[in-house]
Amino acid sequence: MSSSRRSSQASSSSRISDDQITDLISKLRQSIPEIRQNRRSNTVSASKVLQETCNYIRNLNKEADDLSDRLTQLLESIDPNSPQAAVIRSLING
Amino acid sequence: MQPTSSMNEEFLKKWQMGLQIFRPSIDNTSVHERKKAIKLSADVAMASLRKGTTCWSRALIEKTATEDNFLVRQMLSGIKAEALINKKLPKKIVCHRKIVRRSKKILRRKSKSASEEAAAKAKRLVKRRTQGLRNVVPGGELMSNDVLLLQETLDYIVSLQTQVNVMRSIVDAAEAEIER
Repeated sequence: MSSSRRSSQASSSSRISDDQITDLISKLRQSIPEIRQNRRSNTVSASKVLQETCNYIRNLNKEADDLSDRLTQLLESIDPNSPQAAVIRSLING
Repeated sequence: MQPTSSMNEEFLKKWQMGLQIFRPSIDNTSVHERKKAIKLSADVAMASLRKGTTCWSRALIEKTATEDNFLVRQMLSGIKAEALINKKLPKKIVCHRKIVRRSKKILRRKSKSASEEAAAKAKRLVKRRTQGLRNVVPGGELMSNDVLLLQETLDYIVSLQTQVNVMRSIVDAAEAEIER
């Protein structure tokens, strides 16, 4: 394999992954409500998208945690014999 | 990509199954343990939607198994639980910051034009943000390939949205029920 062919192979594979990365970043941009709603498509930098993605993921995790708390509190507070308890039990048990 | 209704349904079923598994021991547990069971079953339910096909879901299952092995095995029985829990994940990539910083200093000694500097700065920022992303996506530290990291992130986000939307609906409905 000549060195020139090797180097063109290397640069073409990095070109492919650069394109892939650009494409993935624009997909991320569309997934994040913060960016999708507030800005026009082409003015957000890659680093901003990455930063907002991290924040979004942290917020989603926090929300899931809070919801688990609320559900726990709810189950603590209901009288197990009440009709409401039966409804809630069916919600949670399927 | 948005969560589909079939994802929502599947998540709900699996989460409910996890809650059922926990139920028998409910009288002997603390509030804290009950909350943990709710959260852990939600995480396993979310991860199992991917049936072991993504890195983040395998990493999340492995992490949850260290916190409640029994729950995870029960929830995954039928989807090759053993294979997922014992699956050897690739070694973590350890980046020795001091060495990297020192080698970068040596490279930087060459003088650069303003625009080259700006481009280099932007590149460093993107690298830092990408590392931040690795820290929040389960198994992220194992993904050295940036393309893989971004693909996994997209999938993880859709799954998290599913988890949160379904949990929110259930909790809202339950709270509404109590207020009647």
